[in-house]
Amino acid sequence: MTNHIPYAFQESLARRQELSERAVLDEFERGSYDIENPLVKVNPYLINPLAALVCFETPEEVAVSVTVRGIEPEGDISHTFPPARRHVLPVLGLYPGRRNRVDLTPYEGSAHTIEIETQPLGDNAPELVRMETTPSYLGEDLIFVTPSLAALATGFDYRGDIRWHLNEPLVFDMKRLRNGNVLIGTERVIEMPYYMTGLYEMTLAGKIVREYSIPGGYHHDQWEMDDGNLLVLTESPTFSTVEDQVVLLDRKTGEELRRWDLKDCLVPGEGKSGSWSQKDWFHNNALWYDRNDNAIVLSGRHTDCIVSIDYDTGELKWILGDPRTWPEDKQRYLFRQVGDGDFDWFYEQHGCLVAPNGDIMCFDNGRFRSKIREEFLLNKDNFSRGVRYRINREDMTVEQVWQYGKELGEDFYSSYIGNVELYGRDWYMVHSGGIQYYGEHASETPAALMQNDPNVRAESETVEIRDGRIMLDLRITGNFYRAEKLSLYHDQDNAPLGPAERLGSIGVTSEFETLIPVPRTGEMLPERYEASITEEQDRFTFDAIFESGQLVMLMLEKGEERHGYFISTAKNKFNALCCGTFIKNDPRSVSMSVSKEGLSGTYEVCVVVDDAEFETGIEITC
Amino acid sequence: MIKDVSSAEFNEIRGNGVVLVDFYSKTCGPCKMLAFILADVDKEVGDDVTIAKLDFDENADVVEEFGVKGYPTLVLLRDGAEVARSAGLRQKPEIVNMIKEATA
Repeated sequence: MTNHIPYAFQESLARRQELSERAVLDEFERGSYDIENPLVKVNPYLINPLAALVCFETPEEVAVSVTVRGIEPEGDISHTFPPARRHVLPVLGLYPGRRNRVDLTPYEGSAHTIEIETQPLGDNAPELVRMETTPSYLGEDLIFVTPSLAALATGFDYRGDIRWHLNEPLVFDMKRLRNGNVLIGTERVIEMPYYMTGLYEMTLAGKIVREYSIPGGYHHDQWEMDDGNLLVLTESPTFSTVEDQVVLLDRKTGEELRRWDLKDCLVPGEGKSGSWSQKDWFHNNALWYDRNDNAIVLSGRHTDCIVSIDYDTGELKWILGDPRTWPEDKQRYLFRQVGDGDFDWFYEQHGCLVAPNGDIMCFDNGRFRSKIREEFLLNKDNFSRGVRYRINREDMTVEQVWQYGKELGEDFYSSYIGNVELYGRDWYMVHSGGIQYYGEHASETPAALMQNDPNVRAESETVEIRDGRIMLDLRITGNFYRAEKLSLYHDQDNAPLGPAERLGSIGVTSEFETLIPVPRTGEMLPERYEASITEEQDRFTFDAIFESGQLVMLMLEKGEERHGYFISTAKNKFNALCCGTFIKNDPRSVSMSVSKEGLSGTYEVCVVVDDAEFETGIEITC
Repeated sequence: MIKDVSSAEFNEIRGNGVVLVDFYSKTCGPCKMLAFILADVDKEVGDDVTIAKLDFDENADVVEEFGVKGYPTLVLLRDGAEVARSAGLRQKPEIVNMIKEATA
């Protein structure tokens, strides 16, 4: 028996990338590489195995085009980089498990073809069920999807071939910023099941440019404001309630500039959806800044509604959703249905947006298809869809003006996740990312809780509709939170170099005021709990397995100074799993992350289990 | 004062002033933690509040009457009428505040 439980120090992803990039640049510095014999490093940023850095010098300053040759000519992906003598070029869009042929073509010169070999992707890549579109429609754009279960973020071309993939679970929406980088959730869980430490601003090569950490963490969605600052969905750092706050972050410093709390304008418990819980009473899953109205528009799954709040005052402007069950004092904020056409309210929706003309769209998951328990539908009898509403704020009326998906029934039904996009006049994307079957019919239990059950089949479907015609239909295995159509390259700096900035902090982990008065045994935590500790620069994480119903508290002790962190071993801890990627197969698994912020010195890590306190043999210095 | 009560005992005390009912289960980790917290709460609120611990699994009639869906759930009664409710584990200050606000 060892004198401590398993322990590892994990360097940050940003730091590991910095070291990897430095090694490539040092090798480039030491060698002599020209366009015919360049230095090639596949997956230089460790998380995108379908990207490479190609480094070489040219005698003169010259622009160079890079073309990854497609399986057929329509599949070529090209980009021309600005003139330089010393070239460090990210190559994007490689195929997995192939010797890719890549052309390097200097301006007014002839192409030099190199081969870049990639490895096959692992089990965490989705499989194609079907892709129906044309190369002329999708061009060099890809359909990117981000994870909700085990399969990870991936990009598909017009043939349905994978041309982009991340091998780390970066999660939630991936939006392109005005500088061409993308913003996506980190892989660092701050609180289960899916509250992440913050966001990465990164290139599509996978290089992290900035890491933003936020007290209260990040979930679901973010928005770049006109001045570059970031609106981010978060919650109270105590996690007493979740998914009900928004922060504005300074883009350059990561400093929190403002915070909005939905409890200031809504009352928890009003307008409940079928999945409502006291802790996750709003379940804010989408964010949109409405420039024309200076308002923040938010989707609240657990109130079956989309709300608009004033950006300056935080006051409620309107509520869009089934007005039933809302109290009298809220009725003046709610819209009344009008029009002779087809109309359905949305339920437990995701991915709201505001159209340029003020219309409101969302992915209507339709979960339960009512706010009234007696009217609830089973998933197998339900439907999901993209839907567009025209709202009139003068007379507070709403009309449904478009939908896609109702006619498809359970085959397009997602009880959770999904999004819509509006590209232009009568041109839409609808992403039903959470299709789950159990046997022949839509599953009534979340697949994240049944990932080893062979009867469970999870799929995701993304459809683009233009002028009433389906222009693209991508169906893949696995569930995917959202889909975005993006180009791999953009017209700004595609090849930033240097260390990432790590901004903000994860804050102080909330402690338990009441400690469990049990004796310290001096014994090691028994091996049957399979406990381990992973330390990072700003925190440490305790993982273990306990039986449901055990009383567990993680303790940090330094002389008389004691800090307690309660660990729940309750069954069915999670009732809304928009991202089940971090759920372990063993339902007895627990994970507790403790920030070093607010602590000072060296602490012994101990664990109270039921009526005794055990040692871990690990000390953490903060 | 904290009492472990059956349905019958609960019915005897439910109308007597302020009663905080703790619907708990012996098989629930957060319920065990809440027991320590309620002991602390009891020290702070004193005899003005009776804390009645009711086993969720053994008192289905009261559970159904109050529409309790899971455990731990705290229901605060004043002269027999429900004035506040909280589901899930709560820390001592939140519980003390709930009692103070509902009984002010």
